[in-house]
Amino acid sequence: MANQKKILVVDDEPDMVDWLTAFLQDNGYDTIYAYDGFDGFEKVKAEKPDLITLDISMDKESGIKMYRKLHDDPEASKIPVVILTGVSADFKRFISGRKLVDPPQAYFEKPVDRDELLQKVKELIG
Amino acid sequence: MDQPRRRYTDKIFDALPCYLTVQDRNFSIIEANESFRADFGDYEGRYCYQVYKQRPERCEDCPVARTFHDGQKHRSEEIVTTLDGRQVSVLVYTTPILDDNGNVAEVIEMSTDVTELQSLHKELRTSRRKYRQLFEDVPCFISIQDRDLNITEANRLHRETFGTAYGKKCFEVYKHRSAECEPCTVKRTFDDGVTHSHEEVVTSQTGEPINVLVHTAPVRTENGEIESVIEMSTDITRIRELQDKLASVGMLISTVSHGIKGLLNGLDGGIYLINSGLKKDDRERIDKGWDIALRNVRRIRSMVMDILYYAKDREPNWEEVGGADLVREICNMLTERAKKLEVELRTKVEGDGRFECDPQMIRSLLVNLIENSIDACRIDGQKTGHYVQVELSEKPEAIQLLVTDNGIGMDRETREKVFSLFFSSKGAGGTGLGLFISNKIAQAHGGRILVESEEGQGSRFLVELPRRRPDIIPTEGDSF
Repeated sequence: MANQKKILVVDDEPDMVDWLTAFLQDNGYDTIYAYDGFDGFEKVKAEKPDLITLDISMDKESGIKMYRKLHDDPEASKIPVVILTGVSADFKRFISGRKLVDPPQAYFEKPVDRDELLQKVKELIG
Repeated sequence: MDQPRRRYTDKIFDALPCYLTVQDRNFSIIEANESFRADFGDYEGRYCYQVYKQRPERCEDCPVARTFHDGQKHRSEEIVTTLDGRQVSVLVYTTPILDDNGNVAEVIEMSTDVTELQSLHKELRTSRRKYRQLFEDVPCFISIQDRDLNITEANRLHRETFGTAYGKKCFEVYKHRSAECEPCTVKRTFDDGVTHSHEEVVTSQTGEPINVLVHTAPVRTENGEIESVIEMSTDITRIRELQDKLASVGMLISTVSHGIKGLLNGLDGGIYLINSGLKKDDRERIDKGWDIALRNVRRIRSMVMDILYYAKDREPNWEEVGGADLVREICNMLTERAKKLEVELRTKVEGDGRFECDPQMIRSLLVNLIENSIDACRIDGQKTGHYVQVELSEKPEAIQLLVTDNGIGMDRETREKVFSLFFSSKGAGGTGLGLFISNKIAQAHGGRILVESEEGQGSRFLVELPRRRPDIIPTEGDSF
């Protein structure tokens, strides 16, 4: 489908990437993925996704850093971001780490409620 | 001397607030002032030693005799007894009165009552002794430090526990550090003159970590300037261990629930793949879903084991296993994770390393050590080509597991605290449970873990475990 919306899944946990991309594909989205923030940002520049799901705590480059980079990029800052975070401590760290940066479009704490996530994604990009 | 002048000097003689007598060569009192008369009565025809000391003959060491002998002034300390039996400490001064030929005709003896002064001195000595005893014997570590954090004084327990040498820096003695701690409560007290307290882990001269509650207080000069700071530390290791046990229950619940959330997420995802795979008849997707579900079940099991190790007394479940197989199995399991973090996981196995152990416990111990080493490599931004090497070697009576890495390494302080409960050098990234449990597991097997490490270079953890189950397991403090 030519007008399929593209979602970038950024998470360092391969299992999460596997099922989330399958789930999003089952619901009519095209998906790409990255295992860390650095690769994630490269994919944003190269593939211009319509939405990004972003994990916070990742070994190589954290979601906080990638989020800041997205915000500083005039083009990438327009892409809606949905945070999917593992533990609430990460979530708090994210909140304190994103000073002077706009909040993301949505937060979800793992375990993610798939229906709620899908509803949010539809709301953001149709 | 004319009459009025004579009357005047008599008045002074009488009014002087001390005992004043004039004595001849026989120590007979020929003149005495009013103070003397009031306390010792009539003096006429009596001898000094009779009046002052109720003695039948003169004292052996008599200052009046010395003045008669050499014509000089003398001084001594005496105790005399008044008419009403009161003992008075006096400071005695003697002065010669010369005749026209320059010979000593008489001697003036002036005795000042210093009883009060003496008793004050005595009190001072007693209180100093009491203070000293308190300082020495109080069951906590006390040191006095100057502005440069040099220890100028330390009590017995401090000296015995830390091998304190005066003039050494506080941080050298307490923590085996080469630089002062940040923040330093002693410095804060020097700066603001206020008492501060905080909790610390210090290290004894035998390398034992001690949890202490530290209080500092300023010691001021008479002008109010802070001249030194007294640091008092109470050993709360046992209390802390108990508190830690309680606190850890809460922490455990929180860690476990966070962990469970992640695992649920994985399980839920796996189930989604299985269900949707079944609907689509997509075998590959079903397999992937199963893999995810199984992996998460395994992780739940390992998490529960960790909790059990910590939460209750657990006797090892002894069986004979091949250490080599165990090492290979664990390294295979962790290779992928290490690779993702650009760490090469190497194994070097010598023999089959059969020994008696609880394989589940030894697995946890090894996983903890290896994951720790991988982490030490991950956070080391200074080098590339990181590796973690796991070696198994055999000795006649024991097997040795050596985990070596070229990660960030540890300074002496970190190395000494590494097996303490809830000590983590990883900030929010560590629970401080892993190495504590590893050490307890080694001890429960009658073995031990030795650490060598150098900051910036890497670390080596050597685990030595006896081949045969020991008859008596040495217990150290609480079991886990």
